[in-house]
Amino acid sequence: MKKLDVRLLRMIKATKGQYIAVLAIVITGLFVYTAISNSAINLRDSINEYYSETNFADIFVKGTAITEKLESELRGKNDIKEAEARIVFDTDFMTDDEENNVNIRVVSADRNENKINELMMKSGIRTLTEKDIIIIEQFAAARGISPGDEVKIKINGRIYEFNVSGIASSSEYIYMMENEQTLLPNPEKFGVVFLEKNFLRKIYSSRGNFNEILIKLNHEENIKKTADYLEDHLDRYGVSRVIKKEDQLSNNVMNQEISGLEMMAQSIPIVFLVFAGLMLIIMLSRTVRKDRTSIGVLKALGYTDIEIVGHYLKYAASVGLIGGLIGAIIGTILSGMITNYFLVFFNIPMLTVKIYPHRIIISLLLSLLFCLISGFIGVRGILKIHPAEAMVPEAPKSSKRIFLENIKSFWSRVPFSWKIVLRNIFREKKKFAFISGAIAITCGMMIMTIWMTDIIDIMFNRHYDEFNKIQYNISFDSFKNKDVLNEFSEALSIRNMEGRIEIPFEIENGKLSKNAVVIGVEKNTAFYGFHDLKGKRIHVPEEGILLSSNLANFLNVNTGDEILLSSIVSDEDGYVKVAGIIKQTLGINGYMNINYLSETFLHKGIINGVYINSQDDVKSQLEEMKDINIQSQFDMRSAFEEFTTVTAASMGFMVLFSGLLGFIIVYSMTLMRINERTLEFSSLRVMGFSKKEIFSMLVRENMVMSFIGIIIGIPIGLWLVHYMGMTFTTDVYTMNEPVRLGNILIAIIMTIMFIVLGQLMTTLKIHKLDFIQSLKSRMS
Amino acid sequence: MGDVVLRVENLSKNYQMGEVTVKALKDASFEIEKGEFVVILGPSGSGKSTLLNIVGGMDIPSEGSVYFNGKLITGMGDKELTSYRRNKIGFVFQFYNLLSTLTARENVELAVEICENPLDIDEVLEGVGLGDRAEHFPSQMSGGEQQRVAIARAVAKNPQILLCDEPTGALDYETGIQILKVLKDINIKYKNTVIVITHNAAIAEMADKVIKMRSGEITEIMSNANPISAERIEW
Repeated sequence: MKKLDVRLLRMIKATKGQYIAVLAIVITGLFVYTAISNSAINLRDSINEYYSETNFADIFVKGTAITEKLESELRGKNDIKEAEARIVFDTDFMTDDEENNVNIRVVSADRNENKINELMMKSGIRTLTEKDIIIIEQFAAARGISPGDEVKIKINGRIYEFNVSGIASSSEYIYMMENEQTLLPNPEKFGVVFLEKNFLRKIYSSRGNFNEILIKLNHEENIKKTADYLEDHLDRYGVSRVIKKEDQLSNNVMNQEISGLEMMAQSIPIVFLVFAGLMLIIMLSRTVRKDRTSIGVLKALGYTDIEIVGHYLKYAASVGLIGGLIGAIIGTILSGMITNYFLVFFNIPMLTVKIYPHRIIISLLLSLLFCLISGFIGVRGILKIHPAEAMVPEAPKSSKRIFLENIKSFWSRVPFSWKIVLRNIFREKKKFAFISGAIAITCGMMIMTIWMTDIIDIMFNRHYDEFNKIQYNISFDSFKNKDVLNEFSEALSIRNMEGRIEIPFEIENGKLSKNAVVIGVEKNTAFYGFHDLKGKRIHVPEEGILLSSNLANFLNVNTGDEILLSSIVSDEDGYVKVAGIIKQTLGINGYMNINYLSETFLHKGIINGVYINSQDDVKSQLEEMKDINIQSQFDMRSAFEEFTTVTAASMGFMVLFSGLLGFIIVYSMTLMRINERTLEFSSLRVMGFSKKEIFSMLVRENMVMSFIGIIIGIPIGLWLVHYMGMTFTTDVYTMNEPVRLGNILIAIIMTIMFIVLGQLMTTLKIHKLDFIQSLKSRMS
Repeated sequence: MGDVVLRVENLSKNYQMGEVTVKALKDASFEIEKGEFVVILGPSGSGKSTLLNIVGGMDIPSEGSVYFNGKLITGMGDKELTSYRRNKIGFVFQFYNLLSTLTARENVELAVEICENPLDIDEVLEGVGLGDRAEHFPSQMSGGEQQRVAIARAVAKNPQILLCDEPTGALDYETGIQILKVLKDINIKYKNTVIVITHNAAIAEMADKVIKMRSGEITEIMSNANPISAERIEW
């Protein structure tokens, strides 16, 4: 081995504390990058493979009178490769426990194989007869259903018994939500079942018609064009909605999740690598300064600048390579765990956790590049060292008064020990900025993480406590006269009840458009607590529409603007004035006075649902009522409780990563400062300072830097919150809740805990220092 | 003897210290022959280290020329100067300047690894009396031993000129004498030119040629027909 390499290894050994520290930051950054990006790739690849294997539809068309003939009529037109009609409806799944009402979606399936959206069998057999039923895996698992079991389903008011022939996964229900309003999957309360197509046509539909047709294209890039064509040309089939693949509920949620992962994979590791890079710059520039004479000797011996720079760069390169490799390996292993974590919500039977050698190479190159660039910045001073000058001791650095000394009234009141502390801090501005910066980022990331944990809770609690006060939301299969409310009054002991209208609209403002459900409610509804963006309570206006803030932002509209509402279920459309913009944390909706909505788009006096608050068990008491679907807030809350338990673990990891950065920087930089200042400390010891007093001096320095870091960290945290809020705000979540003071306080306390831990770790080093020896060695 | 290995012509070096120009070396000219043991003698600030740095290719002059074996080195670029230091020159410094994380042997190997025609390391270490201390680190050695390592490091490269800047400056009398003896032995054994810079006039007695300097100028160049051995020097 070359002697310079021997020297390098010994240099690493001598600075192992700092080396491990910077390595830990690189490893953390790289494993976060590898783990998250691998998980994103795993999920995306697996889904694409799954879609390809099951021939996932490109367009979903909902209608009322779709005939079998339409399949052949569409084939070959507008790039349509295949079309398959089917029946889909929601109904009751009968359970032994009468109080436990469960909704299911019944989907017709071909006897042997669907041409589009084929099922992937997990157990049992695929063949369907009139007496068979295939049950989706998540629902079967949640309710303990196995092939061979008997299950009962209510169809058109009649209860049918089926034999479970198989358990299957469906690419259409990877994320199994009942609809956009339910927000979370709840496989115990909602499932999907598949019944034989022709049998279902006989018992469910009139004239054997279908209510959906799935479309598969030759080329995905034609989806929009073909969807527009279908919207324009299928009126006679009662087409109500044309849903593109990207808008399909499960696919849309999956894509949003994966995009979120990809964004995290690109941002978090950069923070860690930047800090590792900054630390390398400081470490190596300090080493070069310390090694000035040795570098002069090497130059005198005939070593070239490139050879000497290369020698020190190997230090940085080793951090990059070792850190990159370990990070990539840990990340690859963890990516399996992260990917599996997503299986709590997503059912992907073909999920394969692969090792991506090219990702490992990218990780390695990324960390190597960062470390080499940082390393070069750190060691570039070598090029300026003149061998002849390097043999002469360096002139002492000129010391100037710090700016605080000019504020005489302040400086004269500062105790001597604090004067030393302040001078040390402000004379080492780069290090001061670096440590304060790291603490600022730690504090900022803590604020963001604590806010994230809090916001999920706030979103759900605020939505269900303050905004949506509906215990039971009952939907009718079709519009009914308001008189229907009497039936509910008779069947239940009711605290509050209001009829409501829910209609899906395409809402347009110029070129911007969004599909959303507009809800018609009573003027003084007891079921919603509407507040404007300033938090002021508002009521449903006589005319006009209230828009949830997320929807208003998307459409770029303000109060007073006019928007075009085009009904997706009928030909009705019309301009409506935006009467207000309201806070709504979950879901996107518009709200109108039920009478105004009725007058503008429907016939007066009809409703398609009812809100009920009651002490009764509404689900079991309305069991006999036909053509209704009941959603209870209690079920939603249970699903949420489960969801928060799972997310708590990932938030814990985030807190750990954030804290790790602060801990490592404080620990390693304090070590570095101790090593650099042994002579100063030795002199203080000779003057009679105790080890405790010297340590407290370092603690005070860190306190000042931490204080400033935390102060800077607060706006950084607020910016991160804003950024994350923007990034994670989707059709489902609106994350625009401000950070609470409590969040900031918790974040500060946690940041301080990590700083104190880093500081405590250095006490050992102070106690081990042989001050007298270091004085001697400098004098000899 | 007889071949000129080093020729210095009208060499000057000025340093700019703020608004003041310091003339560290003024119009120095001399010749050194192959195999000579030369002492450049002068008090602190006389310009001798500046002269050595320029001759060793570590610094460039403001004016004048230095020829090594007839080849002009003062016009060389950084790359050529590095090669010159690598293969032709050996340096010994007052404070040894060993790399503290390498053993004595490794310090020597460090120099040998990059040069064209090195000597046998063990033989050189034996030659400076460090055969049994080769695996020790600098911190485990006395000042005299460290200076021997520094000499071994310079000699093992098999340089044509050995430039020694106050090699005994940091050592006690007895150790200093031992180091001078080692340098003389090497001069005789390997027939290379040794140039010793010192402020100690007593050392001049062992030189073949003495170049005296004061205030950046060469005041006298004298040849010594009867140099004495290192053991006989006293100060």
